[in-house]
Amino acid sequence: MKEHLERVKAQDFDNGEFIEKVMQSASNISNEYSAFITMAKDKPNGILPISVKDNICTKGIRTTAGSKILDTYVPPFDATAVSKAKASGGFVIGKTAMDEFGFGTFSTNCAYGAPKNPHNKERVCGGSSGGAACVAYAADFPHIAIAQSTGGSITAPAAFTGTVGLTPTYGLVSRWGLIDYANSMDRIGVIGKCSYDAALGLSIISGYDPLDSTSMNRGATDYVKSIGNDVKGMKIGVPKEYFDGVDKDITENVWKSIKLLESMGATYEEFSLKLTKYATPAYYIIALSEASTNLAKFCGIRYGIEKQISGNYDEYFSAIRELGFGTEAKRRIILGTYARMSGYRDAYYIRALKIRGKIISEFKAAFKRYDSIATPSMPILPPKFSEINSLTPAQTYSMDRLTTAPNLCGFPTISVPAGTINGLPSGIQLIADHLNENKLVALASACE
Amino acid sequence: MGVMIGLEVHCQLNTDSKLFCSDSQDHRGKRPNENTCPICLGFPGSKPKISKKAIEHGMTIALALNCNISRTMFFSRKTYFYPDMSKNYQITQYEVPLATEGLLSVGDLKIRIRRVHIEEDPARLVHVGGDITNSEYTLMDYNRSGVPLAEIVTEPDFTSPKQTRAFLEKLMNMLEHTGVYDPGKEATIRVDANVSIDGGERVEVKNITGFENVEKALNYEIIRQNSLKRSQMKIARETRHFDATTSTTKSLRKKEYEDDYGYIFDPDLPMVRIDDEWLAKIKRLMPELPDQRVARFVSQYGLTEYYAGVIVYTDKRFADFYEECCRSNGHPDIVAKWAVNYLLKSLNWRSEKISDSKVTPKGFVEFLALIENGKLNERFAKELIKEYVDTGVSPGELLYKTKLNISEEDLRDIIAKVLKENGRAIEDYRSGRKESLQFLIGLVLKETKKQSNPNEISKLLTEMMPR
Repeated sequence: MKEHLERVKAQDFDNGEFIEKVMQSASNISNEYSAFITMAKDKPNGILPISVKDNICTKGIRTTAGSKILDTYVPPFDATAVSKAKASGGFVIGKTAMDEFGFGTFSTNCAYGAPKNPHNKERVCGGSSGGAACVAYAADFPHIAIAQSTGGSITAPAAFTGTVGLTPTYGLVSRWGLIDYANSMDRIGVIGKCSYDAALGLSIISGYDPLDSTSMNRGATDYVKSIGNDVKGMKIGVPKEYFDGVDKDITENVWKSIKLLESMGATYEEFSLKLTKYATPAYYIIALSEASTNLAKFCGIRYGIEKQISGNYDEYFSAIRELGFGTEAKRRIILGTYARMSGYRDAYYIRALKIRGKIISEFKAAFKRYDSIATPSMPILPPKFSEINSLTPAQTYSMDRLTTAPNLCGFPTISVPAGTINGLPSGIQLIADHLNENKLVALASACE
Repeated sequence: MGVMIGLEVHCQLNTDSKLFCSDSQDHRGKRPNENTCPICLGFPGSKPKISKKAIEHGMTIALALNCNISRTMFFSRKTYFYPDMSKNYQITQYEVPLATEGLLSVGDLKIRIRRVHIEEDPARLVHVGGDITNSEYTLMDYNRSGVPLAEIVTEPDFTSPKQTRAFLEKLMNMLEHTGVYDPGKEATIRVDANVSIDGGERVEVKNITGFENVEKALNYEIIRQNSLKRSQMKIARETRHFDATTSTTKSLRKKEYEDDYGYIFDPDLPMVRIDDEWLAKIKRLMPELPDQRVARFVSQYGLTEYYAGVIVYTDKRFADFYEECCRSNGHPDIVAKWAVNYLLKSLNWRSEKISDSKVTPKGFVEFLALIENGKLNERFAKELIKEYVDTGVSPGELLYKTKLNISEEDLRDIIAKVLKENGRAIEDYRSGRKESLQFLIGLVLKETKKQSNPNEISKLLTEMMPR
C-alpha cells in the first residue's frame, strides 16, 4: 500500500491500467470466494480501491445489507464513510458479503451466498463482515475494506482470515448511510492486510459529521503516524475470564504476542473483569431490541421488494416480511420484540441497559491501570461450514463472548494476526479506552 | 362519578424545518410526496437529527402551561405497524417527556396538564372510496411525515364535552399568542379524547379535527356509553374513530391488542440537556400570553375587562387587528366598541375569522373616521359595516356609491313627500322631541331603499322643515 501511494505521488503510475487490473482481480476474488454481493458496474475513477460492506449505502450501487428484502434497493446517497473515502481518491470496487443485516458470527446467514475462507474454502470467513475480510486477505492490489461491527463483526472475520480489523470508538466514524442493526453499538471500521492499511483507512473515514447526531465533534487524526511508535512502558492488562474455554493453541499464540510486546518494553499484568459473563446476554438483549425496531421499516412500501397481493396492509406487511427476511432475521426480530414488550421490558431491556453502565465502569477502571487490554479475538479457529449447522443459536451467540463487551461499551479494538495453527489464522484482540486508537495502532504494528 | 374526559392535543409546531430533517415544515401547495427526503421517508441508512427550534417551541408551551420542564430528556421509539409511519415506529418521548405537571385555567375551571412532549407527525393517508374502515384503497402522502408536533396531555379533569371546547379554544389562543402555532400556515390541531362514564372502561376517540367536532364526538360517545349501560351491556375498552359526516364514532380496534408499543430509547438521538442558560433565554423571549394581553388592554387602552377579554380571546389575529387599528385611531374605546359590537357580529354571522375576511385595518379605520367626521351616523354605519364585511369594498367608496345612487333633487322630492304625510312628527319635533327627527330620517331612508346618506337627509330635513 505504502509503495502504491508513493508511486501515485511520483506519478509513476498508469491509472487506467491499474483500475482495470484491480477490477479484474476483484472479479476473480468474487468468483473464487463469493466475497461480493454486487460489483461496481460503471468504470470507477480514483487511486485507492475500497470495498464496502453491503450494509453501507453507496449511491447508485445496489445495497442489500445481505437481505432479500432489499434485493432491489439502490440508495440515492453515499454513506459519509464512503463519500470521505471517495474524497481521498477511493473508488468502490464492490459490495462485500455479510450475514443478513449483520446477524451472524460466521457469515453463513447470507441471502446471497456465504463467503469462503481464502485459507481454506471449506471454512467460514467469520462474520458478519466476512466478505470484507476475505477481500482484504485475498486482494493482490492495495485495498481498504470498509467494514462494520455491532458485536464483533470486524474482529471475528479479521481473526478468521488473518487480517487486521480496526473497530474505532463509537462516534468516531459517522454512521450516516449505515443500515442499522443496533444503533447504539453499530460502528463503521476498517479491515486491511496490515496495521498500516487499517490506520490509513481510519484516518480517511473518521471525523465529525452533522448528519449523525452521535458523531463526535473533533478534528481529523492521522493514525498512520502511530505505526511503529514505541510500545516501551505501555501497560497491558490480560483479563483471565477471556481465556475460559478458548482453544488451547489460540491461547498459546495470544500469549506469544503478549510476550513479544513485553520483549519490546511493554509490561503486562493478569487481572479480572468480573462482569464478563453478563456482557453477551446484555449485548443480545439491547442489540435485538434495537434491531427489531430498525427492521420494522422494511415492509415493501417505500423501497425494496414489493408484491401484488390481496388483503389489508397487515397482511401485505406480513407477506413481504415472510418473503424477504431469512430465518435468523426473523428469530432476532421475535427475540428483540419480546425483550421490549410490557411485562418483560423492565426485566430485560431496562436491566440490560443498567448492566451496560456497570460494564463500562468496570472497563473504565481497568483503563486507569492499563493502556490496553489483550484478549484472544475468537475462542475457536475458523470452523468448517459443515460444523456450523450443528450449532444451536445459543452456542453461536456464545462465540461472540470475547467481543461483545467492548462493542457494548463503544471501546476501540484492533484484531491482529497472532500466528497460524495448522495453516489456519488466529488473532489477538487489543482493546483501549475511548479515543485511544493511536495506542492500538502502535501495539498492533509492534505485533506484526 | 359521572363523566370523565381527558384530552391529548396534537399541535403542529411553527418551525422552519421538520422535526428530524431539513425539509420544510410548511408543505402548502406542494405535490404529494414532494416535500420529502431520505430521513422523513425512513430510508435505510438515514438518521434523524433533532430540530432545536421544535424543542424551544415545546419549552415555550410548557412555560405557558406552568409545567415543570425536564432538564434532561430522551426520545423513544413507539413501534406499531401502520402505513402512515415511514419507519413503522414513531419517534416520540416516553419515559422522560419535555415537561410535566402543568395547569391551564379556563374561567373557574382548572385543568391539570399531565405532560407535554415532542413527537413526529405521521404521513397523511387518503382513503379513496370510503373512510378508514371501508375504503377501496389508500393513497399515502409523506409531505407531512416528520412535521413536529407538541402533544399536550391533560388529566381527566373535564366533566362535560362543553368544557373541552372552552379549554381547547383557550389553549389554541394561547398557542397562537406564543407563536409556536400558526393556523395561517394550515397548521392543524388534532385531538384524541378519552371518555368514561361512572368509572367504567375508558374509550379513546382518535384524531378529531375541529373543536366543534370534539364536542360532538364526546356527546355522541356519552350517549352511546349510557345506552349500553342502560341495556346492561359491557362498555369495552377500545379505540374509536369519529366520522364527521354523521357525527358518530366507529370502533377501530379493541384496546387490549394495542397497548404494547415496545418502547425503547431511540439510540440515534443522544440525550437532550436543557441548561439554565437555555431555559432563561426561552423565558426571556416568552411572548405576551392572552391573560397578560387582556390586562394590558385594560391599562393601555382604558378598555373594560369585557371588551379587552372579547378582543383577545376571540383569536390572536383579531387582537392584532384591534391594536393595528388603534395605531391610526386615537380612540381605542370607540375602536373596541365598533370592533366588538358590530364588526365581530358581522364576521360571526358569516362564520368568518378576521384573518380570512376581506376586512383590513385600513378599511376599518376609514370606516371609523367617516363616523367621527359626521359623514356617517351610527344607524347607517351599522348597515355599512355589514356591507363592508360582505364585499370588502372600502367604506369610503361604499358611502360615495350610496350618495350617487340618488340625486339631491330626487331626495328633496322624497323628503317633501315624507314631510307632507307626517305633520304630527313635525309638531313633535317643534315641541322639542328630537327623536322625531330620527323617525323622519328613518322614513326617508326606507323610501330611498337605504340608498341615501342619513347625514345628508338630516341636513335637508331641517332645512326643508316647515317653520
